[in-house]
Amino acid sequence: MMTTRVLEGLGRFYIGLLLTFLYLPIIIMALMSLNVSPFYQLPFEWTTEWYASLWQNDQLIAATWNSLEIAVITTIICVVLGSAASLALYRYDFRGKKFLQALLFPPIAIPWLITGTAMLIFFFGVGIGRGLFAILLGHVALALPYVIVVVSARLQTFAPELEEAARSLGANQWQVTMRVTLPWIMPGVIAGGLFAFAVSFDQFVVSYFLSTPGQTTLPVEIYAAIRKGFTPEINAVSTIIIVVSMALMLLTARFFKFGGEK
Amino acid sequence: MAAQGTSRSGLSSALPLLAPAYLWLTAAIFLPLSAMVFFSFMTDLPLSGKPWAFTLGNYAAFFSQSLYLTLLLASLRLGLEVTLWCVIIGYPAAYVLAKVLKGRSREAIFLLVILPFWSNGLVRIFSWAMVLREGGILDTALNAVLPFKINIDLMYSYPAVIIGLVHSYVPYMVLTCYLTLQAIDDSLIEAGRSLGASRLQVLKRVIIPLSMPGLVAGAALIFVPVVGSFMEPRILGGRTGTFYGTIIEDQFVAVFNWPLGAALSFILLAVVLVILAVASPVLKRAA
Amino acid sequence: MRMPRLTAFLTATSVIASVLAASAGEVHVLNWKGYGADEPWAVEAFEKATGNKVINDFFNSEQEMLTKIRTNPGLYDVVMINAAFNDQAMAEKLIQPIDVSKLSNYANISPDKASSPMLDHDGKVYGVPWVWGLTALAINEKSFDKPPTSIAEMWNAAHKGRVVIRDDAVEAVQFGAIATGQNINDIKDMEAVKAKLTSLMPQIKTFWSSENDWNQMVASNQIDIGTYWSGSADRAKTHFKLPVSLVIPQEGAVAWLDAFSIPAGSKNVEGAEAFINYMIDPKFYVEWVTKVGAPVSANTKAVEALPEDAFNRKVMGDPEVAKRIQFQAPITDKQREAYLALWQQLKVDVK
Repeated sequence: MMTTRVLEGLGRFYIGLLLTFLYLPIIIMALMSLNVSPFYQLPFEWTTEWYASLWQNDQLIAATWNSLEIAVITTIICVVLGSAASLALYRYDFRGKKFLQALLFPPIAIPWLITGTAMLIFFFGVGIGRGLFAILLGHVALALPYVIVVVSARLQTFAPELEEAARSLGANQWQVTMRVTLPWIMPGVIAGGLFAFAVSFDQFVVSYFLSTPGQTTLPVEIYAAIRKGFTPEINAVSTIIIVVSMALMLLTARFFKFGGEK
Repeated sequence: MAAQGTSRSGLSSALPLLAPAYLWLTAAIFLPLSAMVFFSFMTDLPLSGKPWAFTLGNYAAFFSQSLYLTLLLASLRLGLEVTLWCVIIGYPAAYVLAKVLKGRSREAIFLLVILPFWSNGLVRIFSWAMVLREGGILDTALNAVLPFKINIDLMYSYPAVIIGLVHSYVPYMVLTCYLTLQAIDDSLIEAGRSLGASRLQVLKRVIIPLSMPGLVAGAALIFVPVVGSFMEPRILGGRTGTFYGTIIEDQFVAVFNWPLGAALSFILLAVVLVILAVASPVLKRAA
Repeated sequence: MRMPRLTAFLTATSVIASVLAASAGEVHVLNWKGYGADEPWAVEAFEKATGNKVINDFFNSEQEMLTKIRTNPGLYDVVMINAAFNDQAMAEKLIQPIDVSKLSNYANISPDKASSPMLDHDGKVYGVPWVWGLTALAINEKSFDKPPTSIAEMWNAAHKGRVVIRDDAVEAVQFGAIATGQNINDIKDMEAVKAKLTSLMPQIKTFWSSENDWNQMVASNQIDIGTYWSGSADRAKTHFKLPVSLVIPQEGAVAWLDAFSIPAGSKNVEGAEAFINYMIDPKFYVEWVTKVGAPVSANTKAVEALPEDAFNRKVMGDPEVAKRIQFQAPITDKQREAYLALWQQLKVDVK
């Protein structure tokens, strides 16, 4: 069992390395939010002025709230619609199923630039125009394929015998879904939700085309600010978001077990 | 062991579950994209007030100018490299998460891996500039540790683009692989070991095949967007940062040639779909 | 007899109120972000003076600007169009003629700009000259003992890997034209331009697309020299305290003229005229230059209101400079696409 110990130790070390890699730019981003120079110039000079001026920056704050609201709504809609669709694709066979599965790829494959421009024109022609509602429409559409792909991947590991067994015991379709299938695919659903949130919250291109002054999202504001004159207020708001998300996530982990333990 | 759902009543039962999602996709994506397909066959947009006509010229341009093919190949190569790195880096991490870590620490680390997703992409890229440039974090750190002086300037180069993209997309791979790895019953692994199989054999014959769906899903979610990406290549790639995605962007931002931009994108879509169609049975057979 | 008088009074009041309400309307402005029209103190001053409310919208490229006007007819009242694009906007009937008699400051616009064929068509004014500037060279003062005078400095091997150029096909081709001694608006020898730019490629570190890119790189001492806008170089030096100097090479520089136009279908032409008049007003200009930094005003009185040693007055007003700069003229879509194809090919061939 020595090798197992060694391997496990190596494994943990590896995860540590990976986390270092993942967080290196984030730590820098946070550090630079406390640095005086607006150009990431070293030497490092401590300041909290960027956080202070952030509170005055109504535009950035409004955009942040918009992003959060849209991301939350997008996640909820995507998780419900996406899980339902995945279940259908998993359970049933019908003509055109392959086609429907293939249809999930254009939204991911086509550069968001094209999709964004296409939405801009189409929404304009149809009367939806631009603004937060249009952005929501776009975000859900972009995130749905991710949820479906992820939940489907999880469903692939599901043993259909479990559903059969439950059915033979007299459960109806709804009960089977709720009591047997759903708990199993819950990690997939949650993962899909996390994806959907990330896709929506960090979505830039489509939001850019569909936003109007006063109805923008955070990535759009950041992009505009970078072109105009970068200030580390952007770092400040990004750092705040990461810290808050981390706190929320760790709190959720405390109370919900979603690792799919049997 | 195929874990497919059993054939049941078919479309009529599936419809209520499928309809909301696909209706939304139709309204927000497929209809607009159809309009774009329409545009890709025009000489000019009706919007521009200029006379327009139908033409195959935009698609023909792809074949007549070697520029586009060269860039498409470069982008495909970029996609492949990034996906491969994500597999190499992400799969072991997912395995450790799924099999080695347990309980609270597993969940906490899992969330920590996902968290960088939620940081803003643009700011992340700028932060990489600080790490990779000459006089940046990497350069300074290495010089402090190594006995001899070296000059690391990775910024504005192909490696920088790879690093930036891998950093952005590896959580996808970790996540999807985790989902399928975690579903593998430990008793299967124990059974294999007790029958005398070595760790490597268990890995090859049991674990990898069972987690294949996760790998394939992750690869698809990474390969596809990377091929069309333009932000990371532009910012991190410097003068070598021209890829298929940036060329398409130019058609919308530098000139008013949406028909060409649309045609180029649909060619990209077709190529990607072909690759996925060819690759997935191959991978499934390997399972 | 009271009722009719009361009614008359009420009617009169409501008419006056509606007239006042109509004149206190909204002015939708479309411009680059951070380019004067959205300065908070300027918006406040204008709103107080005229009772109009200013709503700013932005674009990140001329193509985007045109797209926004095309897809939002009647929304915008004021749009800032580079003079070289005015032709196209007019041809597509996106903008309307401006009654310059309503703009008190128009009389002080420098005559050569006001009569520019780019802005005047059929005897009508389609664009009011606002500011002009150069795309010349800027240097990192730390890398030079003496500022260079020739455009050839960009090809100096000593700067290999520390040169930047803007990622813009038209600008690059016109830069190449100047480097090969040609007229930027009538390039006879494209092969020479192509060869010149090809030899520049190995020198280049990266392409910049916004002021921030340039400033960030010079702040961390990563570049020596590059193309840059005159106003931005000035701003980098005075506002951001960066070691940047503008160099107008003896071979010349590309000059651009920015102008304000009124889109067709604007719902508040009066407000638009008032806003444009404010933008070319010396009071606005002096405050803008001092607080933020700006290109040169097309209004001669506005430039004269600056202190004598001000950059925009001393350097940009120098007749020697005026002799060697070339103003951009309109180019057709086909030409633009040809330039882009050339530029993309250059970028691909680079290794």
